[in-house]
Amino acid sequence: MPQDRGVTQSGLAIRRMSASSEPPPSPNVRTGPEYAKLIDISRCIGCKGCEVACKEWNELGIEPTENFGSMQSHRDLGPDTWLLMRFNEIEVGGDLQWLIKKDACLHCEEPGCLYACPSPGAIVQYENGIVDFNHDSCIGCQLCVSGCPFDIPRFNPATRKVYKCNMCVDRVEAGLEPACVKTCPTNAISWGTKEDMVTLAEQKVERLQARGFDNATLYDPAGVGGTHMMYVVPHGDQLGEYDLPADPKASPGALAALGGLRKLGASALGLGILGTALHYLGFGPQEPGAAEVPSNGVGGGTAPMSAGGESRPTVESQATGESSPTVPSPPTGETPPTGDPTGSTEG
Amino acid sequence: MSAPNDLKRFAYAERVIHWVAGLSFLFLLMTGLAFSHPRLFWITSLVGGGSTARFLHPWMGTLFTGSMVVMFFTWAKEMSIQDGDRAWLKSIKHYAVHDKDNVPPAGKYNGGQKLFFWSMAILGVAYIVTGIPMWMPGGFLGVGPFYGGVVNSMRLVHYLSTVFGGLLLIVHVYLGTIAYPGTLGGMLHGTVTNAWAKLHHPLWHKDQSG
Repeated sequence: MPQDRGVTQSGLAIRRMSASSEPPPSPNVRTGPEYAKLIDISRCIGCKGCEVACKEWNELGIEPTENFGSMQSHRDLGPDTWLLMRFNEIEVGGDLQWLIKKDACLHCEEPGCLYACPSPGAIVQYENGIVDFNHDSCIGCQLCVSGCPFDIPRFNPATRKVYKCNMCVDRVEAGLEPACVKTCPTNAISWGTKEDMVTLAEQKVERLQARGFDNATLYDPAGVGGTHMMYVVPHGDQLGEYDLPADPKASPGALAALGGLRKLGASALGLGILGTALHYLGFGPQEPGAAEVPSNGVGGGTAPMSAGGESRPTVESQATGESSPTVPSPPTGETPPTGDPTGSTEG
Repeated sequence: MSAPNDLKRFAYAERVIHWVAGLSFLFLLMTGLAFSHPRLFWITSLVGGGSTARFLHPWMGTLFTGSMVVMFFTWAKEMSIQDGDRAWLKSIKHYAVHDKDNVPPAGKYNGGQKLFFWSMAILGVAYIVTGIPMWMPGGFLGVGPFYGGVVNSMRLVHYLSTVFGGLLLIVHVYLGTIAYPGTLGGMLHGTVTNAWAKLHHPLWHKDQSG
């Protein structure tokens, strides 16, 4: 089981896993460098070759689509469409612009999906930065979809599992670049270590600014600890138009609160059980015998225990109340012993 | 089991609906704790694994909600809180330490039981209202989708309601079993002894014995 070794079938070392404490350090598995994919939106010509490569490599099924008046292939991502080039048409300075966004998992350093997942090991983050779903452990609750600040994972009602881009983790493990990187004809997608990609992005941003894209910027949002798919955005002042959240958070308000309150909740329930146990030990069962049996047990506030030895020995000091905690009824308690008085007095 | 002069406390239908609600709630509480506490996730294996637990939880919730609706209409009238109940609730700390001389006599249900009833009714609404968006985050009857902030907030409220419900259940089960022997029988075979009624529900006992 992956939970035990901190390693998945792929042999990649794991940094984080859902609903688990930190995985143990794992020797003898490849940690490798931390990778990142860089999308230079200014170089994208909208050919959608990356979409096709993604489908081919990952053997994803066809999701039928329709003409809805856009160059975009599908309206939305799907369980079999892990990558969608979004063609956002807007006017910039009187000109029509396609603010194309390569919509796919950004592989956050602080993955909101992973933090939201209740199933141990269903979502893992490898040391190389890739966030991957382990479908054997996915229970289909879809809480990851709500935990994702970028609205990426998609549920398949037929399999009751959730799917998203895995950054071609099988290729990466074998030292290859992801399929979309390999196929891009304009080198709009670059692949390398996170460090190298940030350096490259800074150069690209500089060049864009020199060309008059004053607001060009690198999209590597700090709210999720940075991402392993980053964008060079020509119109950095219009992130909203690209469908890029300006300030995504890994655990937004309610989830962060839940994380803290969970500890209180569990403690409260534990204390509840403990409280009833202590109450029982202190006050014992309240037997209905007293009202019925006019024996010497009733008045016997001072020596209630086993005084009469009748069939309801747990007639206790409840009538007088104050002495009950100190003289609990027979500690064997739960079942009023029908036993012989000699046995009970002996102890 | 029941002796000839025992008092009838719960009708057959009342007992059935009580146990439908009780057992489904227990299932919901256990699987819910598994979903919210990684260290308790193993509980899901008792019901067939995580996916099965996730599949069954909302359906069991539907059953629980249905039984709550039936119980509500069965008992709502009897559970209306009167002045006597308010007095009872004020003396709850005497009740807790079995100092029964300082506790006003109760009718068929004491103030605490009535409060439990109304608390569960409110929590039941909270469970279903917050549960549906989590059950069908993609949308329900044309409403939705609920992905994102809605589900995350519902998750928080659902969890907090569960903690309250769980605490109420612990107290309910404790009082109904080992704390007050003779109580469980009322919900199993429907009858309680005269002595039990006199001790715990004197006004009801007087009423029953004429």
